[in-house]
Amino acid sequence: MADTDPPGGGAGPDADATVDPDEASEGDASTESAAPGAVIVPVEPTSTLRSTVAHVAETAAADGAPAIHLVEIASWRNGDPESDERAAAAERVLERVTAWATADLDDSEAPGAADVEVVTTVLGADDYLFGADDYVRVLAEYAEANGADRVVLDPEYTPVGNTTLLQPLEFALSNTPLSVETAPVDRPTRRERFRTEATTGRFVALFGLSLAFYLLLGDPTYWFDVVTGVASAAVVSITLSRVSLDSNPAFPRTPMRIVRGLVYVPVLLFEIVKANLVVARVILDPRLPIEPTMNRMRVIVGRGLPLMTLANSITLTPGTLTVRARDSDLYVHSLVPWAREGLFDGSLERWTRFVYYGRRSARLPTPRERDDVAILQGADATEELPIAAADGGAIDGERDAADDDSAVDAGDASDEGENDPEVTDR
Amino acid sequence: MSLVDASLAAGYTLGDFLLVAAAGFAVLAVGMLYRAVVGPTMQDRVLAVNVLGTNTVVILAILGAALGEPTFLDIALVYALLNFLMAIAISKFTVERGGVL
Amino acid sequence: MTETARVWLVVALTLLGLFFSFVSMVGVLRLPDVYSRAHTASQADTLGAGFGLAAVALTVGLAGAGFKSVLLLFFIFVTNPTAAHAIARAAFEEGIVPWIEGDDRR
Repeated sequence: MADTDPPGGGAGPDADATVDPDEASEGDASTESAAPGAVIVPVEPTSTLRSTVAHVAETAAADGAPAIHLVEIASWRNGDPESDERAAAAERVLERVTAWATADLDDSEAPGAADVEVVTTVLGADDYLFGADDYVRVLAEYAEANGADRVVLDPEYTPVGNTTLLQPLEFALSNTPLSVETAPVDRPTRRERFRTEATTGRFVALFGLSLAFYLLLGDPTYWFDVVTGVASAAVVSITLSRVSLDSNPAFPRTPMRIVRGLVYVPVLLFEIVKANLVVARVILDPRLPIEPTMNRMRVIVGRGLPLMTLANSITLTPGTLTVRARDSDLYVHSLVPWAREGLFDGSLERWTRFVYYGRRSARLPTPRERDDVAILQGADATEELPIAAADGGAIDGERDAADDDSAVDAGDASDEGENDPEVTDR
Repeated sequence: MSLVDASLAAGYTLGDFLLVAAAGFAVLAVGMLYRAVVGPTMQDRVLAVNVLGTNTVVILAILGAALGEPTFLDIALVYALLNFLMAIAISKFTVERGGVL
Repeated sequence: MTETARVWLVVALTLLGLFFSFVSMVGVLRLPDVYSRAHTASQADTLGAGFGLAAVALTVGLAGAGFKSVLLLFFIFVTNPTAAHAIARAAFEEGIVPWIEGDDRR
């Protein structure tokens, strides 16, 4: 089964996610000059960062770029007071972005996706940087050293919270041999692009599915049903093929996913029945021994269908209920402690990865080992409950201040949008 | 002779049993109505109505089997679709920002 | 022979469905807040409906209309957790704080 992995599946996204920069530059030196160079993405925790990373991963995979360099330009200097905390905060941001990029590359159907490396660095921590020219100098040096020829900017990118820097940065970059591009992503008012591209593959897949559904309910041998079925399937696929599928069906991948999904269903059913019996006992118990808490868990699956599968599996498994999915953070309500512990063991996450990416990708540390879990309520709480809508995001703001990366988002503490990356670690 | 007419015990058939089961599901649905009336929040009511709708789907399907009316299943299918849409639509429009799903 | 087995299987599945729907109702009536109620609404009820529809499929026979009942089963398994998630998320965005032990509100 592992041999027929989809292109991204074998990448082993976690083991070799962060590659040494040296190694990456070696790889670039050997490629001929006509091949596209690596892409540099300056990273700051903004509300559009998630979509920017998705865009970069997609284009890099499509163009066959050898590597994506996610760089954080330091707004501190090593040795300064507080520089350690800020470096650690930057490190956390980079870690999260790496997880996103590898998940997106796993999802991508472009043939080159498996060859794209994801590299992270902190730049300029040994110097004080003033203004756009300094940033560009640092970026250009890094690009030259690593064979990169393209910079993709996050539209909300503002190093050091300087809101006017993006334009000068673009201007200064245009004086270098690097090509510059602002990622075409929407601002946080729209979560992500709802409509995707219309392709023949999607059209055909949707047409086939709706025709099959129609004929299943009707009579496939009766000519009238066949004709009306074709007509209605055509209407459905013309109007909805841009909305309902977010990736092209690909030959070895889609059937493999379906087969592995069929393996998953009985396992899931068994889990559901087993856990349902236990929960039934809890509910029918006259003392009602429940101990509900809200929890947060960061999961490593791609967005779209894999995330939906995982969230729905979690909800179907008794004792746990997905309340909210923010990027790769799932907010899960658990009814009893054992359900929470089972959730943190991450078997559902591994199964989802197995279904979508193959057996090899399913081996990864549990969320508890990765330290990607948090309990938000009760006696064991490790983090505050981010109910932001009730108070205009005040809790978000407070937590930032406490976490000492206050520089990044006085602005979007109030927006609590889907792509808000301000849910801090731990 | 279809399975519904198979005798179960004491002269009663499987069809009779299924009718009783449908009545049982209906009783459970009425119990759920308490939560839909009492609330206290809008979400509680939506949730109760959603569960009630799922019960209705099952009742329709069981009645269809017991009475030998396969068309009931089509109605159940439409009902399930509407039930899902109802839950999604109401949760979407009770939230001020409209950010559900 | 096989018919008797099928009949009793239908009876067993229906009873299981009734049991889990009962659990779901008790949960929705007893549990303290909308989040924990959503648990039983999405899980016990899905399983109850699943067993009930499986019984129907077995009664009608897969050849004919029983197929629709399997479709219905699949559909409920996909939509029920999604609906529960949407409702719980609406509650979360409204700012309803989940009940924890020691909270008075019921």
